[in-house]
Amino acid sequence: MTEEKTKTIDIDEALYRPIYETGRGFYLTVGILLMIILFAAFMYVRQVYYGLGVTGMNQPVTWGFYIVNFVFFIGISHAGTLISAILRLSKAEWRRPITRMAEVITAIVLAIGGLHPIIDLGRPDRVLNIFTAGRLQSPLLWDVTSITAYFTASTVYLYLPMIPDIAKLRDRGGKLTRFYDFLSWGWQGTDHQKKVLNRAINILMVMVIPIAVSVHTVISYIFSMTLQPGWHSTIFGPYFVVGAIFSGIAALLIVMIAFRKVFHLENYLKLIHFQYLSTLLLIMSLLWFYFTFSEYLTGIFGAEPHEMDVILYKFTGPYAIFFWSMVVFNFIIPVIVLSFKKFKTIKGILFASITVVIGMWLERLNIVIPSLANPRMELGSGMYFPSLTEWSLFVGAIAVFVLGYVLFSKFFPIISIWEIEEGREESIKEVEKRVKSYLPGPAETSD
Amino acid sequence: MNSTENTSRDKIIFTAQLASISLIWIFVIAIAIWILNLISVSVDLNDAPGISIAISLVAIPVFFTLASILTYVFVGFHKNSKSDLNNTLGD
Amino acid sequence: MPKWAMVIDLDKCTGCGDCMAACKLENNVAIVSPEQTEEGRVMFWMDMMSVYDGEYPHVKVKRIPKPCFHCDNPPCIKVCPVHATYINPEGLVGQIYHRCIGCRYCMAACPYTAKVFNWYEPEWAEEFKTCLNPDVSLRMKGVVEKCSFCAHRLQVVKEDADAEDREIMDGEYMPACSESCPADAIYFGDLENRESKVFKLSRSPRAFKELEGLGTEPKVIYLSKRE
Repeated sequence: MTEEKTKTIDIDEALYRPIYETGRGFYLTVGILLMIILFAAFMYVRQVYYGLGVTGMNQPVTWGFYIVNFVFFIGISHAGTLISAILRLSKAEWRRPITRMAEVITAIVLAIGGLHPIIDLGRPDRVLNIFTAGRLQSPLLWDVTSITAYFTASTVYLYLPMIPDIAKLRDRGGKLTRFYDFLSWGWQGTDHQKKVLNRAINILMVMVIPIAVSVHTVISYIFSMTLQPGWHSTIFGPYFVVGAIFSGIAALLIVMIAFRKVFHLENYLKLIHFQYLSTLLLIMSLLWFYFTFSEYLTGIFGAEPHEMDVILYKFTGPYAIFFWSMVVFNFIIPVIVLSFKKFKTIKGILFASITVVIGMWLERLNIVIPSLANPRMELGSGMYFPSLTEWSLFVGAIAVFVLGYVLFSKFFPIISIWEIEEGREESIKEVEKRVKSYLPGPAETSD
Repeated sequence: MNSTENTSRDKIIFTAQLASISLIWIFVIAIAIWILNLISVSVDLNDAPGISIAISLVAIPVFFTLASILTYVFVGFHKNSKSDLNNTLGD
Repeated sequence: MPKWAMVIDLDKCTGCGDCMAACKLENNVAIVSPEQTEEGRVMFWMDMMSVYDGEYPHVKVKRIPKPCFHCDNPPCIKVCPVHATYINPEGLVGQIYHRCIGCRYCMAACPYTAKVFNWYEPEWAEEFKTCLNPDVSLRMKGVVEKCSFCAHRLQVVKEDADAEDREIMDGEYMPACSESCPADAIYFGDLENRESKVFKLSRSPRAFKELEGLGTEPKVIYLSKRE
């Protein structure tokens, strides 16, 4: 065993290194994150003990940060599985170092996002009522169903392409061999096994796309199925999905840049990967603007009084600052940064991605709060100030995400090693063959 | 490391893997039972059962397909390793 | 089957707020501290909307009592994930406090903002605790509640009528707000009974419903010469 360990100096050693070498930085990060999470957990227990009064929610703003973050996190989760499935399906060769990172985002963020409605409950002790007395007719239960489906599908979709890598880790030995042996499901890398795995991945990637689309559509239904001004809109389904993919790509770019820096993966994640993905980000930014423009123009042109109350609350009222910074963060900055090659450096892309993530969070805020704050009845408009509890749970959720990611990268390679190997060995020939098949053949000689 | 210890360890791991697969099936079946229960409640109360049935028609097959894919992979992996013993260097 | 409805005559209403007080006492609605009220957590089953028209000094104030509208097509029950809010055959929209999980989806979906939430464990002053209404169950923190049209009074009335083997008479079942109104501006009765006062008033040319265009079919009808 020990012999083997010293022998295997792979060309992809850089990808194994984070698993076997634990630095002081790792313990420090985990320690700090755990402290943040413990504090957030304390604040949550306090909330359960005293009631939801410790938040800033009130009447009529009955939903606050928790629902905003729920929509936001589930949106981020579309980074992963959806993008990775689309890239795999379209045989984009540059996907190889990206897919795993994307899929991990989905699995972790989805778990965090899915917990948010439970955090938001006034009686979390009764959450099991949805099993005994649930109403599948309620959009909230559509969500429970579709998020469970998406979580299962994306975990499977993360796990299956990881099996060959887990087997590699098993063969390297070490303390966790049994753990990897259990997870590798007897993978030996035979041709038959490869065929089985490829077929399963192919079925899954086709399946996972509609599931992912359905998840954010259904989340938008929570809002659009009500009669409230600003929510009751048919555009919400696709609008939410576009926004989700948009924020997802931005989050993926941030994660990629962070790991590239920390794990020194410059050899794997090259500028070209970031440029391709950021082109996708630019397209989504334009699409997002198109949807936003259509949504608000319809409202303003029709000028239904209740609808106008909500729109004015966003345009010139208390939410003007959030609304207009959303437009700047989601549209103006990314379009300027990503349209010019000069700005399309790693730093430029990182900047644009961070503004997009903030901007998309603001978008969720702009959707949830103003509609609630402007009830149809003549009660005057409400206001919402999040409390310390809500802020700490927000920070805690982000900490859980980072911790989840750090721990994942401790146990599993963050870049799919076998897919990189496959790329080296086969894809050049394959791509050559594929491109040749697109090209027109020799001109047919006419008789 | 002697071989008997190795095989018994393999057996334990194989059982654990089997258990994890059956856990997936239990999960999927539980979801199906849950959804069917909600449908029966909505039929009892005459509370728009159509919607529940429509959702279940989409949701239940999705979960079952996911579990079948996992099972297919697991069975596929192991079928192979047996036939490999019979004809090593086969292909 | 009767269909219980309320008619509020805004031309008679003085905006005194007696209905609000009567409702609070009748239904054991928690007394919320002034600081919490300031934050928008006041609890009224019978609320009072104040609408100010015009600029100072020519301001016209409209005071409109607002209970739950007991819609025939209630948006709240459509979205509840746990059957915690329901409409019964008599048209009363109820809330099951012990089943409610506190997701507040019904509050977000209600176009009339008629529901209130127990942000903290409900509280009463020490003196109040001795005179809580035993007919109305107390709520706990974290659940949604709303006007029930004093459904507990209907129970009593029904038992009396059953014992005497007769129909419920018009005006026998009255919610606390309607009973206490000093201006007699709140009527209550059965819309299916063509002899009832409520039925006749609902046909009045002054009658209108709030947000009728939404198709919620509220069973609280306002009477007003204005507008």
